Amino acid sequence: MMQFRLEKRREPSRFMLYATPVAAVALTMIIGAVIFSVIGYDGIGAVREIFLTPLTNSFKWQDLGVKAAPLIIIGVGLSIAYRANVWNIGAEGQYIMGGLAATWVALASHGAGGWWTLPAMMLAGMAGGAAYGAIPALLKTRLNVNEILTSLMLTYASVQLIYYLVRAPWKDPMGMGFPQTRRFASEALLPNIFPGTIVHAGVPIAIIVALIAWFIMSRSVFGYQMRVVGAAPHAARYGGFSENKTIWLAMLVSGGLAGLAGMLEVAGPFQRMVPGFPTNYGFTAIIVAFLGRLNPLGVIFAGIVMAITFVGGEVAQTTIGLSNSATGVFQAMMLFFLLAGDILVRYRLKRVVPQVEAGA
Amino acid sequence: MTLELAIAIIVTVVGASTPILIAALGELVVEKSGVLNLGVEGMMLVGAITGFVVVFTTGNHYLAILLAAGAGVATSMIFGFLTLSLSANQTATGLALTIFGTGFSALAGQGYSARPVTLLGPLFPSELATHPIWRVLFGYSALVYFSFAMVLAVWWFLKKTRAGLILRAVGENDHSAHSIGYSVVAVRYGAVAFGGAMAGIAGACFPLLLTPQWAERMTAGRGWIAVALVVFASWKPFRLLAGAYLFGLVMTMELYAKAGGGPLSAIPAELWAAMPYLATVVVLVLISIRRDASSNAPACLGRPFLPSN
Repeated sequence: MMQFRLEKRREPSRFMLYATPVAAVALTMIIGAVIFSVIGYDGIGAVREIFLTPLTNSFKWQDLGVKAAPLIIIGVGLSIAYRANVWNIGAEGQYIMGGLAATWVALASHGAGGWWTLPAMMLAGMAGGAAYGAIPALLKTRLNVNEILTSLMLTYASVQLIYYLVRAPWKDPMGMGFPQTRRFASEALLPNIFPGTIVHAGVPIAIIVALIAWFIMSRSVFGYQMRVVGAAPHAARYGGFSENKTIWLAMLVSGGLAGLAGMLEVAGPFQRMVPGFPTNYGFTAIIVAFLGRLNPLGVIFAGIVMAITFVGGEVAQTTIGLSNSATGVFQAMMLFFLLAGDILVRYRLKRVVPQVEAGA
Repeated sequence: MTLELAIAIIVTVVGASTPILIAALGELVVEKSGVLNLGVEGMMLVGAITGFVVVFTTGNHYLAILLAAGAGVATSMIFGFLTLSLSANQTATGLALTIFGTGFSALAGQGYSARPVTLLGPLFPSELATHPIWRVLFGYSALVYFSFAMVLAVWWFLKKTRAGLILRAVGENDHSAHSIGYSVVAVRYGAVAFGGAMAGIAGACFPLLLTPQWAERMTAGRGWIAVALVVFASWKPFRLLAGAYLFGLVMTMELYAKAGGGPLSAIPAELWAAMPYLATVVVLVLISIRRDASSNAPACLGRPFLPSN
C-alpha cells in the first residue's frame, strides 16, 4: 500500500495558497452534488442551478453585482482585521449600525435634503459601524475581553435595536401599520449607474474600496504593521508596532467598512429601514475574507463566487424547489474544504517508500 | 407575589437555563483539553432538528435525546478532523461549523415547521408533585436532572479521575503530555466528541423541553452564550451552574415582559430581548475587571498541536 507522510515546507507554498480556494470551490461542486443526491435531492441540478446558472444567464449578472458589493466591502475590512489576528465576527452588527445611522440622516433630512444627503449618510454609516466596532476594541485593549464574544453579542443586540426603532420612534405613520420607516426621499437614494437595471453606485464603490485596500495593505506602513502584528507579534513589538493600536485600527476599519455596506444597502436595494434588513452579509463576509485569502483582490473574486451561490440559491428555489438554506450548506462546505486544504500550504505530501525488512 | 406565580417563574427559569448549562458543560471539557470550538451553536441546531424529527416520527423522547447526542458527535467530528488531524485554524473552523449547522438544520427541517410534537414529561410520577413546593423539586423532565448530574460528573471527572488529570495536562502543556506518552490528539478527539454530544442534547432541549415544534435558528444564539459562560465561569463547573441560572433568570424576565403587565413592561420588549447578549458583555467586562480573566484559561487553548518530529 502506498503511504504518505506530511512534511513541513520551509516556507508556505504560494502556489497552494492560491490553488486551494479554487480547488475548494470545485470540490464543493463535486462532493455537494454527490451528497445532495445521496440525501434525496437532485444533486447535479442543485449544483448546476446554484453555481452555473447565475453565470450563464445574463439577466442574473446585475443581481450578482448587487449581492457581491456588500460582501466585498465587508470582506475587505474583515480580511484586514484577520490579517492582524483581530477576530471581528460582529460585522453583521456593524453593518446594521451603519444602516441605522444612515437611516437616521435620511429621516432627519427628509424634505430638506440636497446634494449633500448621500455623502452625509455615507459618513454616518461608516461612523456608526466604526463606533460599534470600537466597543470590542475598547474592551479588548483595556480589559483584555475576547473580541469574538463581544462583537458577536453586540450583533444580536443590534437586531433588537432595529425592531425597536421601526416599531416605535421611526415607524412610518402612513405605512398602514407595517413596522418600517418611510421610503427615503429621492436625494437619499443611491442612483442607478446603468439606467433600467438595479445596479447601484455601491457596485463600483466596492471595487474601488478593494483596490484602495489592496494598495494600502501591500504598499504602506499601515499595511505592513497589520501584517507583521498578525504574523509575528513578538517581532512587531521589537519593531515598535503597538499591538493595542493595531487592534483599534483593525476594529475601526472593519467596522467602518461594514457600516458603509449597511448604508449602501439601506439607500440602495432597501430604500427604507425594515425588520428584514439584517441579511447575514456580515456573517457570509467571513467566508468571503477567508476564500479570498485575506487579500483585498482575492476578496473581489470570493465575493463574486459567494454572490453566485446566493443568486443561484434563489434560482434553485424557483426552478427545482430546493430550499434557500441549501446555499448555507454549500457555503460552509466551501469553507471546510478551504480550511482542510490549508495544510497543503504549509506541508507537502511525501510518499513513504516502505522499507523491505531484511529476511522478509 | 403569590406562591403559584413564584413557582411558575422558577420552573421557567429552570427550563431556560438547562440547554445553556448542558452546552456550556460540554464546551468546558473541550476547552480544558486546549481546544476552542466555536461551533456550539451549529451543533446545537443539528441536535435540535435531529431531536425534533425523531420525536415527530417515533414519539420516543429518550431515543430523540440519544440520537441528538449522536448527531452532535457526528457534527463535532467535522471540526475535530479539520482542527486536530489537519491542524486547521480553530476559530475559522468553529465559525464554519456554525454556518454549516444553521444551513443543514434549516434544510433538514424544511416541511417540519408548525408541526407540533409533545414535550418530554416529568421524570417522577405526578403524585410526588401535587403540592406546589414539591413541584419545584420533582416536577421536571429528565433533561433537567441530567444537567445537574452532569455538573457533578464533569467536576468529579476533571478533579478526581486520572483521565481528567490527563485531559487537563493536555490542555495546559500539550508538548509535555506528548513527551510522557499521552496521545494529545486522541484525548482532544474525545473531548471534542463529548462537547458535540452535550451540544446535541442541549439543542434537543429546544423542541423537547421548551417549544414543542421546529423553527429555523430556534436556538437563537444560546450556543454563543454557552461559549461566553465558560469564560465567565473561569472554567469551573459549579460557577457554570450559577452563571447559566443567572442567564435563565434574565431570559425569563423577557418572557414575562412580553406577556405584558407588571413593572417589567415599563422597558421595551426589544430591550429585554437584547438583555442576555448585553448581560454577557457586561459579565465578561466584570470578570476582567475583577482579575486577569485569562489567568485561569487552559494554557494551550486554541493552539494547534504539532508534534515536532
